[in-house]
Amino acid sequence: MANDDIRNAGGNMNPGFSNTDGQGIAGHGSFFQPTDLSPEEAQAATEWVRKEVDKRRYQNEERVEDIREHMWELEKEGEIIVHRITDDMEPKEVEMLYGWKKRIPTKQLWHHKSCGQCGNIPGYPASLLWFMNKFGFEPGKDYLDETDQTSCTAWNYHGSGIGNVESLAAVFLRNFHQAYVSGQQHGHDAGHFFPLVHCGTSFGNYKEIRQYLIESAELREKVTKILDKLGRTVDGKLVIPEEIVHYSEWVHVMRHRIASELQTIDMSNIRTTMHVACHYYKMIHEDAVYDPDVLGGNRTAIGTALAQALGSQVIDYSTWYDCCGFGFRHIISEREFTRSFTIDRKIKVAQEEAQADVMLGNDTGCITTMDKNQWIGKAHDQNYQMPIISDVQFAALACGADPFKIVQLQWHASPVEELVEKMGISWAESKANFEAYLKEVEQGNIEYLYNPELAYGGTN
Amino acid sequence: MATYAEMQDIFNEISQDFRYDHELNGCLNCGICTATCPSAHFYDYSPREIVQLLWTENVEQVYNAMQEKIWACAQCMTCAARCPFRNSPGGLVMIMREVAIKHGFESAKQVLRPFGRVMLKLITTGNQLSPDMIQPDAFPDWGPNIQKVEGDLQTLRNAIPVKTLQTVETAWEVSLKTSVEMYTIWEMTGVLASLETMDENLYDVIEDFIDEKREDYEDWLEEQEED
Repeated sequence: MANDDIRNAGGNMNPGFSNTDGQGIAGHGSFFQPTDLSPEEAQAATEWVRKEVDKRRYQNEERVEDIREHMWELEKEGEIIVHRITDDMEPKEVEMLYGWKKRIPTKQLWHHKSCGQCGNIPGYPASLLWFMNKFGFEPGKDYLDETDQTSCTAWNYHGSGIGNVESLAAVFLRNFHQAYVSGQQHGHDAGHFFPLVHCGTSFGNYKEIRQYLIESAELREKVTKILDKLGRTVDGKLVIPEEIVHYSEWVHVMRHRIASELQTIDMSNIRTTMHVACHYYKMIHEDAVYDPDVLGGNRTAIGTALAQALGSQVIDYSTWYDCCGFGFRHIISEREFTRSFTIDRKIKVAQEEAQADVMLGNDTGCITTMDKNQWIGKAHDQNYQMPIISDVQFAALACGADPFKIVQLQWHASPVEELVEKMGISWAESKANFEAYLKEVEQGNIEYLYNPELAYGGTN
Repeated sequence: MATYAEMQDIFNEISQDFRYDHELNGCLNCGICTATCPSAHFYDYSPREIVQLLWTENVEQVYNAMQEKIWACAQCMTCAARCPFRNSPGGLVMIMREVAIKHGFESAKQVLRPFGRVMLKLITTGNQLSPDMIQPDAFPDWGPNIQKVEGDLQTLRNAIPVKTLQTVETAWEVSLKTSVEMYTIWEMTGVLASLETMDENLYDVIEDFIDEKREDYEDWLEEQEED
């Protein structure tokens, strides 16, 4: 059918569908009719989508390129330097969507922070660093948290459209160059610290930008000029990390050690649901962790595998794949969308279907959205309340971390008190202890996870 | 109202983006993308429609979609993860948004007006969000339990055991040198020029701020040399 014919075809869309003006969707009208599937047929079709499309089985490996192969070629050709994962980093191997392998470094990590986590959910990075200390990691040698880094700027980009591939790529390369050289001021070689990305959107964005950088010589040429001007190239070459690694992947590979070496609280009575960040596994979806033994291998194992390792009950729910409703722009200026979607498609479902004690997340925006947008539901008699925390905060609680000093639950709006109490921790006592600690803080008696001088290039 | 030739130019600009062929590979109208799209639940928006308009090179309707529809997309990329053709409707929307901004579409200006504060924070500090932006008075719909321990914000931030997080005006402490490097990136990639097109007042404020920070950095460098 020619375009004009299609455009003029008209039609009546079903009420509630996206177009109800009787004219059909622009260019694609009346020939889109209801399928009139029986409930059984609809269920069968949905099952097919869940089994096949969600894992993209028929988009098999042959149809997807492993961008890392091109990355190594570029290095051979002298165009880039690949920041390597070395044996000293004690990497653990995981399987990705198509069975490809990915190595996750467990030590010598450069913490690339998340603006949303640090600004709004500070217990998120604090719990992560707390775990590293519990494993005996030495700050300044086994990990580094420093001030020389910016946001990835992708929240702004996806929300507003201000920014572009060049700016995102330049930010990526600037931050990761800093990760590459950061060890030198602490007495280590270049490449000592490998970037560990805290934010899910940063992770998705960086995976995408790395792909564009590897595919496009024009983009590389443009950003090399910028990075040269900043003094952020090595021998005139761009530095690109061997893998983009998300903190939840570190938690994933450490989960058995967390459970066997550090766990102090029995979690078997805790019913958990998992919401994995869209930008973790829907952007460059071939680069996300899957495990045949977790969720049948059909969904990313991130978060769920941890909840299982800790011995909690993992409960499935029908809207598992749905987005949280964050929307980047929407949480700021389309808040009715954000809160409606998160209540209807996440909180309500997790409560009614799974009767969950907690919803775990692995990203900033999702946790903010689901945590903060529950109370407003009362305006429409939607009284759904559920604690929302990250996987690493959940694990820290299970390992005896202080709910206030370390897990920083005081910043959460959702009823985290109920979860803490169910775990056998006294909320009131913990809160009283923290309020007493605040008096010490006012006097300048502050407890740190690492020597603050390290953040500014100093030594231990 | 734009002429057909102008709309064609806009379409050409979208389709010549180097990502375009990466994000658009074909379409059989299966609708899996729209069935899974959160925004399609709430808005007159369909990722399938966006893909079809581009695939059929319907330049007029592409132009029309850029006036409002593209801003409905929540950028979750569920559509991209599920498309049997490996299309990325969400990625195509981003290309369209970039072009809308570059050309200063009025719709984009309206949509982005509430984003000014975030933009100011991001461009000038390198952080998109800060604790002082998330105070209860700005979010009455988040309820009375937004913070479970009362107290002075700086004291509460100082009680986070991570030095870089003991900040109020940025999410973490960003070094001055880092921020200055960021300004160079904004300038060299045309981001500041886009901002000037979209919101001249905001641009002026940001320019003043950047000038001030650069002077501070120069002063700091001089101090280092003297030491």
